[in-house]
Amino acid sequence: MARLLVQLKLRLLGNALRASTGAQVAFVLSTVFAAVVAGGVFYLLAMLRGSGIAAADLTTVIFTMFGLAWLILPLVVFSLDSTLDPATLALYPLRIRPLAVGLLAASATGAWPAATLIGLLGVTIGLARGALGVLVALLAVLLQVLFCITLARFVTTGLAGMLRSRRGKDFAALLIIPIFAAYEGFIQIVPKLASEGALTAASFGGVDRWLRWTPPGLAVHAIWDASAGHPGTAFLRLALLAGIIVVLGLLWIQSLRRALVTTDTSTQSAVRGSALPFARYGLRGTVAARFWLYQRREPFALIYWAITAVIMVVVAFRLVLSPDWFGGLLASGAAGGAFVGAFHNNAIGMSGPGFGLEAMALNGRRALRAYFSGQNIALGMIAVPLVTAVCFGLAVVAKHPMDGFLGMAVGLAGIGAGLALANLFTVASAYPVEKRGGTPIPRAASGHNGEAVGSQLITLLGVGLAVTPVILVAVFTQSAPAAIRLPMLVLGAAAYGLALTWGGVRGAANVAEQKLPELAQIAIQSAL
Amino acid sequence: MGEPAIAVTGLRKSFGPKEAVAGIDLEIAAGSLAGLVGPNGAGKTTSLSMMTGLLRPDGGRVLINGMDMWADPPAAKAVIGVVPAEARLFERLSGEELLEYAGRLRGLPAGEVRSRAAQLLGVLDLTEDAKRLVADYSSGMRKKAMLGCALIHNPPVLFLDEPLEGVDPISADVIRRLLTRFVASGSTVLFSSHVMELVERVCDHVSIIDKGRIVATGTTEQIRNGKTLQQAFIDLVGSRANDEEVLSWLGSSSS
Repeated sequence: MARLLVQLKLRLLGNALRASTGAQVAFVLSTVFAAVVAGGVFYLLAMLRGSGIAAADLTTVIFTMFGLAWLILPLVVFSLDSTLDPATLALYPLRIRPLAVGLLAASATGAWPAATLIGLLGVTIGLARGALGVLVALLAVLLQVLFCITLARFVTTGLAGMLRSRRGKDFAALLIIPIFAAYEGFIQIVPKLASEGALTAASFGGVDRWLRWTPPGLAVHAIWDASAGHPGTAFLRLALLAGIIVVLGLLWIQSLRRALVTTDTSTQSAVRGSALPFARYGLRGTVAARFWLYQRREPFALIYWAITAVIMVVVAFRLVLSPDWFGGLLASGAAGGAFVGAFHNNAIGMSGPGFGLEAMALNGRRALRAYFSGQNIALGMIAVPLVTAVCFGLAVVAKHPMDGFLGMAVGLAGIGAGLALANLFTVASAYPVEKRGGTPIPRAASGHNGEAVGSQLITLLGVGLAVTPVILVAVFTQSAPAAIRLPMLVLGAAAYGLALTWGGVRGAANVAEQKLPELAQIAIQSAL
Repeated sequence: MGEPAIAVTGLRKSFGPKEAVAGIDLEIAAGSLAGLVGPNGAGKTTSLSMMTGLLRPDGGRVLINGMDMWADPPAAKAVIGVVPAEARLFERLSGEELLEYAGRLRGLPAGEVRSRAAQLLGVLDLTEDAKRLVADYSSGMRKKAMLGCALIHNPPVLFLDEPLEGVDPISADVIRRLLTRFVASGSTVLFSSHVMELVERVCDHVSIIDKGRIVATGTTEQIRNGKTLQQAFIDLVGSRANDEEVLSWLGSSSS
C-alpha cells in the first residue's frame, strides 16, 4: 500500500510537468524554491556554530516555523494534493493501518519534505558537538520531519470535511492573506533590521523558555543536551517527542477512520438581511449591490483588497521611516489606486458564467453605463476608505499625520484612473479565468496569460502616469498654507478621479455594446 | 395561423473547421411547448445560445415575436427568459438575492420583484433555502433557481437547455406543471433535452437535430409516426452501438 501511494504521489507530481504551461511553471518554481529553502536553511543553521545558547534559541525558532508551515500550508494546498483528502480513497476497500502508513509515505514524498529534511540537517554542523551530538541530531531531525508530516495529516484529515465545503474552502483561501503579509513583512523588515544590527541571534534569547517543551523545542534541546554531555536527558527528550508523535499518529488514525465513513459536509449557513441593498436605486444600484456583496463574500475579492493594503504598506515602509517619508506617502497612494485597477481589470471574465444572466438584461448603452458605474460605486466604497486609512496610518508612522491627506489625494486620483482603466480593459481585453488547485485566486485560462499580464502592466503604468499631475501639485505647493492646500488638493484629486472614471464608464459601455455576445461567451468559459 | 413566436432561418455557426450548426430552420408557434432533441454534440446548446443572443451566429436569422435577435438584441432579449444547460448563477448571492437581482436587472420595481421572487421560491420549493448562498445549492436547486430567474419578468418566450437534468422527480413534476401552466396562458417554451420520455409527455412540437442539422420537425404525433419518440429518434439519427464485441468480459457470467 505504501509503495502504491508513493507511486501515486510521484505520478501526480510527474503529471504536473505535462499539465498547462502555467502549472508547469508553478511546479518548477515550487521545486526551485524548495531547493533554495533547503540550501538556505541548512546554511543558516550551520552558520550558528559557535553562537552558544543563542544558537539553540534560534534553531528552536526555525524548527517551530517549519512546524507552523506544515500546519498551515497543507490547508492551503488541500485541493492541490489529492492524497491529502481521505475522500479520494474512501471508495476502495482499504484497511486502516496500511492505508495510514501509505499516506504517511506519500506525504514524505516530494520536494518540500526533502527540503525540510535537508534544511534542518544543518543542525548537525551548527548545533551538534561530537559523535553522540551528531547521532542525536540525525534522530532529532528525523523525528521533527515525522512530527511535521503527522501534524499535517492529522489537521488536514480532521478538517477534510470542512475543507471540502464551500466555507472551508473560503477559510483555506483566506489563509493566504496572513501568509502573504508575513512573507512581505519578512523580506522587508528582517533584512532592514539585520543590516542595522537590530536583529541578531541574541535577539531570540528567551523565546526558548516557552518553546523548549513544544515538539520542535524538544528536538533542538535533545541535540543541545547530547552535545553538552547529557545523553540521558537528550534521549528522554527524544523519547518524549516520539511519544507525542505516536499519540498524534493514533489521533490521526482515529480521525482517518471516521473520515472514510463520514459523508461530505455542506455549508448550511444562511445570509443575513432580506433584500438586496441599494436595489431601490435602479439598475446602477442593483449592480452596485451585487458587486458589493461579492466583495464581502468572495474570498478572492477579500484577498485582492488585503494584498492591495499590504502592497501600499510595503512600497512605503522604508521611506516613511526615513527623511523621504513624503515620497513614501505619495507612492503608497499611487500603488493603492494602481492595484485597485489591476485587480479588477477583467471584471467580466472574473464574473464567470453568471455574467450570462446580466448579458441577457443589459439592453443598450445606457444600461451598460449603469452596469459599469454600479460596479465602480461598489469598488469605490471599499477602495476609498481603505486607501485613505492606509495613507493616514503611514503618515502617523512617519510622524506627519496631516500629510496623510497627500497620500489620500494621490490615492483618490489613482482609484479613479484605476477604475477607468479597469472598465476599459474589462471590455477591450476580457479573458476567461479558471480556479486551479492550490491557489484561491483565479488565473487566466490557458492561452490567455499574455492578455492578463499585458492589461495589468498597462493598468499599473497608466495609473502611475495619471496620478503624476496630482503628485506634481503636491510637490510644488509645499510652501502653501496646509489649511488651503490640503482640502484643495483632496477635492481636486477626487474630482479628477471621478472625471477619469466617468470617461472609463462611457468608453467601456460603447465598446461593450458592440461585443456583448463575445463578452458573454468569454465569461461563460470561465471556470470559477 | 399567426406569427410564430420563434422563427429561425439558415442559422449556422462554425468553430474553426467544425461546423456546429449547419443552417437550421425552425418555426415554433406561439403557445407551443416545443422540444429540441438530439444526441450529445448535435448542436442543441449552440443553437439555443444563438437564438438567445449569447452567441453571434455566422449567418442566419432569429425572430422572437417578430423581433430580430441580431438586428435589435435589446428588444428581442426583453421578451425572453433563458435557463442555460450549465449553472450561470452568481454563487455568492443567496437564492432570494439572486431572484431579486434578476428581476431588478430586467427593470421590475423593487417591491414587485420581492413579491414575485417570494412566490417563485415557494412554487419551486426553495423558500427554506432562500437565504442560503447559491454556492451551497445542489445541482437540482440551481436549476430551479435559474428557472426562477428566467421567469421573474414573465417573458412571453422561454428557452430552456436541459431543464430537468439533475432535478429530483418531485421538483421535476413541479417544473413540468409550471411550464404547462405557463404555456396554457399563451406563452411559448422551447427546450432542449435528450430525455425522450419527457419530451414525448409534455411537448406538442418536436424538432430533432443531428450533426448541426434539423432532421425532422413537426408535431409530436407526426414525428412519432405511431412509434415511441425514442424509437423514432433512433430511426432518424441511427443507433451507434458498438460495444458487443469489445466488452465480452463484462457481466457476472464472465471472470
